[in-house]
Amino acid sequence: MSITASDAILLAHATFGALGILSALWVFVEALNAREGNASRIRTGAAGVAASMILAYILGGYWYLHFYPSEKAIILRGPWPFAHNLFMETKEHLFFLTLILALYLPIVAADKLYANAMARKMALCVALLIVVTGMAIEGAGAVIDHGVKVALLRERVKNHE
Amino acid sequence: MNDTVRLGRASAAFALAAAVTILFNTVLACVKDAYPPLSRFMGSLAGHNWTTQGFADIVLFFGLGFVFTKTGWAARIGSERLIFLLAGAVVVAGVGLAAWYALF
Repeated sequence: MSITASDAILLAHATFGALGILSALWVFVEALNAREGNASRIRTGAAGVAASMILAYILGGYWYLHFYPSEKAIILRGPWPFAHNLFMETKEHLFFLTLILALYLPIVAADKLYANAMARKMALCVALLIVVTGMAIEGAGAVIDHGVKVALLRERVKNHE
Repeated sequence: MNDTVRLGRASAAFALAAAVTILFNTVLACVKDAYPPLSRFMGSLAGHNWTTQGFADIVLFFGLGFVFTKTGWAARIGSERLIFLLAGAVVVAGVGLAAWYALF
């Protein structure tokens, strides 16, 4: 078995992204039932979203800068060049939307959501947007990964012919 | 329970800052893609244009957030309108990014 630094960083990036999405979903559900008793849980969840997305950003950024160029070259000579041209290009910039929303969530969660209808509405909206954009980014990641896979499979088949 | 009907000062300020930053991010992504000298200049600042864009977004978000908190500009905008503005910015920016890279 051989697990490289590239593998570990990439998987950690996707894991923290998924944790951020799950935490945002948790905040959404808690905010739906906002009351004094769960105010600290909402704030903890919101801080968890921000922390997870910051870690996903740092790990993903490091991987993108140091390891992605070789995978990009593989994708571009394979049958799914759109995995880079459309999905990676969109994903790498869409991520900043999710990151900004994740940084904002703890700020609105600091308001008393159980006593402030507008703050509750904003927290619900932001948490939901994090879930939706986060899922889109995770999906794009899967397409990019598959773009590498189909390119390598095609090369392997060609080499065996 | 006394229900407040306005966002707090910081919540309103940073909501507006987030909406502006999100739209800025999409515009910058498209402009640097269409104008390579900008992409190269951004790359020269932090080693890669994407790194510079991330730093610019974060600095802009917190910078505008603090300015809007101090001036109280965002607090003058209705809270419902701010929610709509932020959600609208995310939809426009997300669809805009996908459309840009799909079409150009």
